[in-house]
Amino acid sequence: MADNNYHEEEVIGKAYDARLMRRLLTYARPYRIPLAIAIILLIAGSGLQLLLPVMVQIGIDDYIAVKNMNGLGTIALWSAMILFGSFIFSYLQMYITMYIGQKVQYDLRMQIFGHLQKLHLGFFDKNPVGRLVTRVTNDVNVLDELFSSGLVSVFGDIITLIGIIIALLYYNWRLALFTFAVVPLLIIATTIFRGKVRAIYRDVRTRIARLNAFTQEHVTGMNVIQLFTREKAVLNKFNSINADLRQANLKSVYYYAVFFPAVEIISSISLAILLYYGGFQVGAGVLTFGELVAFIQLVQRFYDPIRDLSEKYNILQSSMAASERIFKLLDTEPEIIPVVNGPKPAKSEGKIEFQNVWFAYNNDDYVLKNLSFSVSSGEKIAIVGATGAGKTSLISLLFRFYDYQKGSIKLDGIEINRMSNEILRSQLGLVLQDVFIFSGDYAGNIRLGNDNISDAQIIEALKKVNLHDFVINKEGGLNSEVKERGATLSTGQKQLLSFARALAFNPNILVLDEATSSVDTATEKMIQKALDRLLENRTAIIIAHRLSTIEKADKIIVLHHGEVREMGNHKELLQRKGIYYRLYQMQFRDEDLKAVG
Amino acid sequence: MLLNPYLLKLAFDRLENHSPSNEILKIALLMVLFSVISGFFRFSMRRTLIWMSRKIEYDMRSDLFEHLLKLNPSFYHNTRTGDIMARATNDIEAVRMMIGPGIMQMSNTIVTAVTAISFMLYLSPSLTLISLIPLPILSILVNRLGQIVHKQFMKIQDYYAVLTSKVQENLSGVRVIRAYNQEDSEMKSFSAHNEKYISLNMGMIRIYSMFYPLLFMLAGTVNIFVLYFGGKAVVLGEMSLGTLVAFFTYLAILIWPMIALGWVISMYQRGTASLDRINKILYTKPAIESSSISHNKSELQGKIECKALSFAYNGKKVLHDINLLIEAGMTVGIIGPTASGKSTLVSLIGRLFPISRGQIFIDDIDINDWDLHSLRSKIGFVPQEPFLFSDTISNNIVFGVDFANPAEIQKAAESAVINKDIGNFNDKYETVVGERGITLSGGQKQRVSIARALLTNPKILILDDATSSVDTETEHLINMYLKGEISKRTAIIISHRVSAVKDADLIIYMETGTIAESGNHDALLSLNGRYALLYKTQLVEEELNRM
Ligand SMILES: Nc1ncnc2c1ncn2[C@@H]1O[C@H](COP(=O)(O)OP(=O)(O)O)[C@@H](O)[C@H]1O
Ligand SMILES: Nc1ncnc2c1ncn2[C@@H]1O[C@H](COP(=O)(O)OP(=O)(O)O)[C@@H](O)[C@H]1O
Ligand SMILES: [Mg+2]
Ligand SMILES: [Mg+2]
Repeated sequence: MADNNYHEEEVIGKAYDARLMRRLLTYARPYRIPLAIAIILLIAGSGLQLLLPVMVQIGIDDYIAVKNMNGLGTIALWSAMILFGSFIFSYLQMYITMYIGQKVQYDLRMQIFGHLQKLHLGFFDKNPVGRLVTRVTNDVNVLDELFSSGLVSVFGDIITLIGIIIALLYYNWRLALFTFAVVPLLIIATTIFRGKVRAIYRDVRTRIARLNAFTQEHVTGMNVIQLFTREKAVLNKFNSINADLRQANLKSVYYYAVFFPAVEIISSISLAILLYYGGFQVGAGVLTFGELVAFIQLVQRFYDPIRDLSEKYNILQSSMAASERIFKLLDTEPEIIPVVNGPKPAKSEGKIEFQNVWFAYNNDDYVLKNLSFSVSSGEKIAIVGATGAGKTSLISLLFRFYDYQKGSIKLDGIEINRMSNEILRSQLGLVLQDVFIFSGDYAGNIRLGNDNISDAQIIEALKKVNLHDFVINKEGGLNSEVKERGATLSTGQKQLLSFARALAFNPNILVLDEATSSVDTATEKMIQKALDRLLENRTAIIIAHRLSTIEKADKIIVLHHGEVREMGNHKELLQRKGIYYRLYQMQFRDEDLKAVG
Repeated sequence: MLLNPYLLKLAFDRLENHSPSNEILKIALLMVLFSVISGFFRFSMRRTLIWMSRKIEYDMRSDLFEHLLKLNPSFYHNTRTGDIMARATNDIEAVRMMIGPGIMQMSNTIVTAVTAISFMLYLSPSLTLISLIPLPILSILVNRLGQIVHKQFMKIQDYYAVLTSKVQENLSGVRVIRAYNQEDSEMKSFSAHNEKYISLNMGMIRIYSMFYPLLFMLAGTVNIFVLYFGGKAVVLGEMSLGTLVAFFTYLAILIWPMIALGWVISMYQRGTASLDRINKILYTKPAIESSSISHNKSELQGKIECKALSFAYNGKKVLHDINLLIEAGMTVGIIGPTASGKSTLVSLIGRLFPISRGQIFIDDIDINDWDLHSLRSKIGFVPQEPFLFSDTISNNIVFGVDFANPAEIQKAAESAVINKDIGNFNDKYETVVGERGITLSGGQKQRVSIARALLTNPKILILDDATSSVDTETEHLINMYLKGEISKRTAIIISHRVSAVKDADLIIYMETGTIAESGNHDALLSLNGRYALLYKTQLVEEELNRM
């Protein structure tokens, strides 16, 4: 697992990217009114908070210094009101911004999920599921943090900062300038810190991604690990990836540990300057006592937003990285562009035509070569051939999971890539070679999301595949629980369940890709009988290795290394004495001898 | 840092008395000096605590994964992958936040608060008491809100796992969804999950957004108390203006830890919630462990015996009273209807599930007394559904052993008749297969899985319908190669094809969890029972067609 980078993803270290930020902000656009309200509340709230030191100054200079007790009471009352006002404002502001964060999170998640529903299947071959799941879940959560606690409060911090600077300059600009003398120091410290943290962040991200991918995959394949007693080896590997992550994390600890005390030292220096120079001014009578106090309080608050901004820097950095990943996914165009308003066959006859079809998954590594055959309405055709000959690939083309490079495939006379996917696929029913069962219940696994399929139809389908008794005898019947990937079913049962799904959808054309490979002969025969009736006037494509299941087909296609080698019905192919004949011999040679003997 | 206000007070007192300015300079320099010293302490604390938290995070993650490696299939059948992943990621992070930054902030808060309050007491006990009035209110508030946050956070985390699983299933089952035109209905159901998740979050936010403003208001109230009562004291001449100023500064210092307190508390609530969730896994006892008297034999002959073996999954009986003797070196074929318990029987021999009733002996030793590792490492298992890692083909084949040289890998691949296919791939043995081997055809996956088992050179080879997706011709080749491999060891072959089992020394016909018939091919044929019937159906049908 160390030698390939299937699970690696590029990591972006940039902390701020105007282009990304602009695009991110478009997600806030539908909520611009609440956002504007939040910003107004924020300004009002921070303004009120800044008023408090001013009230203290007034209290000291105008009342305490002149020993006016009544006025002091009034000032205290005013302060209390201001305080309460700022509470209301900041509560509302926080609520609204978090609310917007949630809304944006919802929208973004829907958009990514929706986009994934449109992407071509080749994309899923190349991207591990775990990574794509992260886009929809974790990465969106990171952005939520930006929207609900980052963005607005960064805005608030900046406003506070500006407010404090204005207030300081207003009180005494000379003193203010002296206090700001340390700002260059602050900038230098922050710049160094940022540079260091950025580099490490990249390492941390890569290593987390690697660790998660490893965990996910090995949890899924736990059975194999245990059967082969590889626990120790796997744990060692896990620990070395885990240790890599720890190392990157530990490195970052150092920089944070230096940065925060550094800011505090700088703030002390400015306080010292202020005290010395301010004291000098008070002595000279240029500055009042209360003004100096207010000044000190304001300067102390000056460092809070700065400290806060550096904390926010983390959020900013991770959300830039998350949004870059999300946008990259959203910008991945489906290679198979869905057709809208495509032509619809006048009559669904179930006629299929492959003409000189060439197909490769990668470049010109052709898996199907110059494939031509046709299936007329109501015909049953069978495809045989060695594993890896391209049978499943051929089916995938018919469903337009992939697009072919050359040639043409027509359904009822219309080129399938001119038809909309809904129309094309609603004609077809498929039992996949790799069975997939959803968690939920039996009914849901058959019906999927199609509410037009009644319980009676589901039961009918289950009967046809001989699963009915098994399901009905369960406590919950059709609604009994099915675990993730059907974990508590036998392999054959899973296959039968997915067969029932295809039957319940009642398609015009039924496509079976080794649909009974894990099913016993008796059940297979039973299904066969049900199918014979069901398929009477329908088209069917059947892939199977057990020749007994396909002999009755109207046409048998022998596929070899992606090419059609032989085509004809059972008798014709036997007479030809080619590949089919050889396969047939092989499958029954021994039995024949004994049967004859 | 904490001395600053006191130094300020000294400075202000001097200012009031019009002391020379170098006195003030001295105080200012002291201020910088102290902050350097305290900065050093903070630096050390951060390094120690966060450093520690990262190490604990490492240990925790490692422990969790190690425990996961011990848990049995039944755990994985009943737990969603998304749930496990959420614990390995989000929950561990929440616990780390609690012990790293959480403890750091907590100690910061305590040290700051204690020092500030003692200085304040020193300056004016009565004013200090007045300013501490809101404290009890604070603690009640924090406690109440904290509990709500804890509960809500648990709910959110649980639902997050549901959401994750939903996405995961949607993407893993993408072919089914596309083939059945279910994109829209998937969008609908995802939207419902998404909404539910958001509404749970909103429940949290309603409380959460009150947290900081409330703390801030409390701090502000204290400020006003001090302004009023302290001002009164100054007016009455009981206190100097410098003291009042210092008092204010201490209060300003107290605001930050107060706010941090809110942060620490929510971190603590999340951390404990997450720890509960992690512990739920850690406290799950593995159903199967090596027993204390475990036999750790390096040699295993391969004799298998089942005595009155019964087995049930969650109370549902699947195997009934199985008696079976397999001598070392024998080849056994198992055949029978779907769901008759074939896979269950062999998984018990691999000791994947604890036995409910009866016994299994391997080399005359009860399977429960075997050391798990030494037992399983002698069994080569080809599961009914092959699992490949998203790695190179060669690493997938080597998976079962520590090391194998290219010649050995090649030989295993040849025996499994996959070497030709691999030769056709662009990167040969270094071809990376997608997740679960998605870029291979069904039969290719099965054969890689067979090669993997062969490479471990097992004493007992179990093939659970291992060639169901393999074409006849290739299957024939595999059987030919396997014959050589099988003769050296005990072999159990499950298949639906009579041709795959009929040469076995012993054939077992299973039906609804019992052994209905057993014997060799000829014996079973002369029994003229189920096996004979199956044989005839598979064969005679061909004969009919042939004519
Ligand atoms: N998603 C994919 N990406 C790349 N190569 C693939 C993919 N699926 C199948 N292949 C390759 O294409 C060839 C044909 O596979 P497939 O059509 O599944 O064969 P069959 O169904 O006849 O057994 C095989 O060599 C296989 O490795
Ligand atoms: N992990 C499990 N939990 C609960 N029931 C199971 C589990 N695995 C299999 N079963 C049930 O046990 C029965 C036998 O399954 P299995 O041994 O896989 O049959 P097969 O003979 O097809 O290999 C089936 O009814 C199946 O539903
Ligand atoms: Mg296939
Ligand atoms: Mg089975």
